[in-house]
Amino acid sequence: MTADLVLSLKNDPAEIARLAPLVAEFCARHGLAEATAAQLTLVLDEAITNIISYAFDDSGEHEISVRISLAPGALIAELVDDGRAFDPLQVAAPDLAAPLTERAVGGLGVHLMRRLMDDIRYRREGARNHLVLAKRIA
Amino acid sequence: MELTTVKIGAVSVLDAAGRIDSVTAKSLEEKLLALIKEAPPALVLDFAKVDYISSAGLRVLLVAAKQSKAAQCKFALCSLKPQVREVFDISGFGTIITIHPDRASALAAAS
Repeated sequence: MTADLVLSLKNDPAEIARLAPLVAEFCARHGLAEATAAQLTLVLDEAITNIISYAFDDSGEHEISVRISLAPGALIAELVDDGRAFDPLQVAAPDLAAPLTERAVGGLGVHLMRRLMDDIRYRREGARNHLVLAKRIA
Repeated sequence: MELTTVKIGAVSVLDAAGRIDSVTAKSLEEKLLALIKEAPPALVLDFAKVDYISSAGLRVLLVAAKQSKAAQCKFALCSLKPQVREVFDISGFGTIITIHPDRASALAAAS
């Protein structure tokens, strides 16, 4: 049975950089491409940044749990937090065809998540947000 | 993330190194906007040593590109690493921000 990568981050953007070397090591250990590790790292950054920005109403310390695992043919990341109900998939997509002066600044994080992962599901369970991201791997 | 500026002729060149993410994007933004305020004819952002960029960084570049256009300053990036280039392409930034393969072509285009 392969070991999952499990860790807990505080709701502080500075914590996100902890993920890069851990994800790289997990992917290398399982023979996955470096590009896959880089893409997963970015997706986690975007998702966790949004959770930190939007899910918590107070200024207190919260934890975001991260679990990365392998299923047959898929790399799976699950994020759990105890913030208010927040579904990152509801954020509006950017207009990629707009010229420079009309391009809006928001929405890119979710767009990157959708493009780099094959499946993203959000659910609310009790007092927790669960976000499961999956990427098909060869 | 480290930022170094140099003037090559009338062109301002900003070298960035490291990660551009939600923690470091603010200082990149401050530096870029300060450089644009100096009203150079051109500003080149060299990404040869940038390993990583998230949407926080892309947002800063979009703001810089818009401000440069308004200030009639030619804004361009150069030397993007493959994983950084991929993020730009997925976000559609290749069509709204000028990107050169290397510093030499960026400087040639700026003058």
